Amino acid sequence: MIDFRKVTLSNGLRVIAHQDLSTPMVTTNILYNVGARDESEEATGFAHLFEHLMFGGTVNVPQFDTPVMLAGGENNAFTNNDITNYFITIPSDNIDTALWLEADRMKGLDLSETGINIQKSVVTEEYRQRYLNQPYGDLYLLIRPLAYRVHPYRWAAIGKEISHIERADSRSIREFYSRHYSPGNAILAVAGNIDPEEVFEKAESRFGHIKPSLLHERNLPREPRQSERRQQTVYRNVPGQQLMMAFHMDGRASDQFYALDMLTDILAGCDSGRFPEILVRRKKLFTEADIFLSGEIDPGLVIFNGRLRDGVDIETAEYEVMRELNRVTSEPVSDSEIEKARNRYESLRLISYTSAANKAFNLAFHELLGDAEGLNREIERYMEVTPTKIIESSAPVFSSDNCSVLYYLPELK
Amino acid sequence: MKKKLTDTQPLIKTPSAGDTSFPANTSLSNGIPVYLIGGGSVDILRIEFIINAGQVTEHVPLSASVTNAMLTEGTEYHNAFDLNELIDRTGAVFNQSVEKEIAGLVIVTLPRKLDEVLSLAYEVLFHPSFPEEEFRMMIEKRIQTYMTGRKRTSVVAREQFFRALCGNDNPYGRVIDMDDYSFLSTSHLADFHRLHYRRDDMYITVAGQNPGQALPYLEKYFSAGNGMTWKKPELPVFNFMPPSATKIFAEVQGSVQSTIRVGWKGITASHPDYHPLKVATILLGGYFGSRLMRNIREEKGYTYGIHSVSGAFHDLGFITVITEVANNYREETIREITNEINLLAETAPGDDEMKIVRNHIMGETARMFDGPFAKAETLKTILDTAAGTEYYTEFTETVKSITPGKIKDLVNTYLIPEEAFVIIAGAK
Repeated sequence: MIDFRKVTLSNGLRVIAHQDLSTPMVTTNILYNVGARDESEEATGFAHLFEHLMFGGTVNVPQFDTPVMLAGGENNAFTNNDITNYFITIPSDNIDTALWLEADRMKGLDLSETGINIQKSVVTEEYRQRYLNQPYGDLYLLIRPLAYRVHPYRWAAIGKEISHIERADSRSIREFYSRHYSPGNAILAVAGNIDPEEVFEKAESRFGHIKPSLLHERNLPREPRQSERRQQTVYRNVPGQQLMMAFHMDGRASDQFYALDMLTDILAGCDSGRFPEILVRRKKLFTEADIFLSGEIDPGLVIFNGRLRDGVDIETAEYEVMRELNRVTSEPVSDSEIEKARNRYESLRLISYTSAANKAFNLAFHELLGDAEGLNREIERYMEVTPTKIIESSAPVFSSDNCSVLYYLPELK
Repeated sequence: MKKKLTDTQPLIKTPSAGDTSFPANTSLSNGIPVYLIGGGSVDILRIEFIINAGQVTEHVPLSASVTNAMLTEGTEYHNAFDLNELIDRTGAVFNQSVEKEIAGLVIVTLPRKLDEVLSLAYEVLFHPSFPEEEFRMMIEKRIQTYMTGRKRTSVVAREQFFRALCGNDNPYGRVIDMDDYSFLSTSHLADFHRLHYRRDDMYITVAGQNPGQALPYLEKYFSAGNGMTWKKPELPVFNFMPPSATKIFAEVQGSVQSTIRVGWKGITASHPDYHPLKVATILLGGYFGSRLMRNIREEKGYTYGIHSVSGAFHDLGFITVITEVANNYREETIREITNEINLLAETAPGDDEMKIVRNHIMGETARMFDGPFAKAETLKTILDTAAGTEYYTEFTETVKSITPGKIKDLVNTYLIPEEAFVIIAGAK
């Protein structure tokens, strides 16, 4: 159980505080309810580019990083399809510096043309370093547009293509900021060596006067039900074949999420799982075979990702994966498989609680889903998963009609 | 406009590294040292077995890493599937690792599973069977990883860097090739295991809220024999040829970026300049606002990241600047790295910058001691240095007392552009 308290400031900023006296540090985690799903399809990669600009300084603080370093803190951020998340971990007696910096950049940025251009260039190099200059690096850039036709999950947070980043202009960047960066669209979670009462006082004095702004309702198109198998083949400069398969599933808060999360753990979460045992060891089709959930807030994906053994026919491999997935839609998993997954879940949950930064992020994320208390309720939701519920949850998901298949093959010489 | 009180910058309290000490070790009845590291707010335990079985102790290439990876692929008592089933049923996480000089096994477990988990740990560490079929699958998978690595500029540049630094005739610098994979056999693993996985060549750390609860079970499974004491590894002695200034280009066909490494031979942890040199390389390129990041990322936009480090193996130190840039920025980037070094060699850094660096390092050090898990990981990296558990006490003293003039002197002594070796891995 993570004990926490929560208040909402009059401008709409939600503040969550969790005390952990075993650390000398404190993490301030500020989550903005904006991600790549809020972008238009002609200007993708914007939310992430914007994350970079948030470190570019303001009128009051020309260098965001300098006060953090002087205070002995570390800071970073990430953007995904749903959210943009910023965090600072700092000695707890310097928490004022962290709150001051976060409040300051919630109020306004100092966006110069030069600054924007440099960050466009940095993000372009990030695009190359993480996606284009890595063997198999563009798998996720390819699977999204195959699986989604309508919903903005069809592009990755880094953006559809580099040209979108290069084209971003300062006017639309300013609009993006005023639309999404406001107290009512943010959640501040603070975890570490500090009394919650003190967190609330400090948050009020630092953030309380920031003007609320109009909140925009998110009106995203619903992805229509997929009705037939989709398949794409690409050839790349890689040494071996990779098979990726994506199936549509329900959203993050659904019961199906918990049943399928448990199921994917049973299939591939550990070395004695079904995929390592059957697909790797026994049938010798893959050297690695993984399956996991994309975990997005709107209806997301179950993704299979496997590296084939050399010489294996990729269609045969796909058939065998489907056979294992069909099996879970009709035969109940065993009690010992459930027991294993529960024990592993218990360990992994406790491991994540050893970090105050993790706790702060998870509280903020569950608050975004509806209620921070959801973090504590997850234990029950996992423990309630039964073999029957796994069958019920898998049956509508694991069918060929609901599947997008990517054959990622070495270039023909 | 009137400024509100709440807009004003708070006073910054100078960060301290906090308590950087470690508790004295206890030992099992046969002498194996055990470090009990308490703290944290979660009742889960991290137990690590650290063994002098790193890559430099191998005579047959790959035998150290594959022996370690094969520990959980079958034992004298259980085949691979049954063994993994037993491990996974406990909910514990088992992770093996191999470095140049040490190897080990880390387990994170619920305290109530200690008996089963440590029984299994004993089995995998001391009674692995290296079955032929699992071995062949392991090699096949590793060959795939190796082949994928040929397409990664960062991997190729790292290999060429250590080869240039250490030479190709010893395990520090040797670059693995396909012949090494075909040569290796299960008998090499069994030999390596017999020679290096020994109770008199290891120590154990236990980290968590109540680490003492692991002791009875460690005693139960690991206390055979007597007179076991861990010694700092006695590593084979190699004659490292001093690297000469050189420029190496390694082609990685079709890559859209290149990895650049600029490097020098450095100094080992027992050298009086070791801690000061660490501070100097952090100032140059060891944090987000460092000189290299500010110039090459935040002013030029050539890269997503650039950093410099000084590090050391047991008998050999090194300094390196690492970055990945678009192919057409390679020459400018190398020129800018050289410019930044020359600048620091000419003019000592100012007090403001020194303060940022000092405070940043203190904060980083505090995080390396934040919680029992972090502390256990930190201990492993320093226990075989000359200072041992006093390492961070000495380091933080240096951070506080080092002068700007000393930084400048160090750059003039150790980062001489004409003596650098430059590695570029990328497309032609």
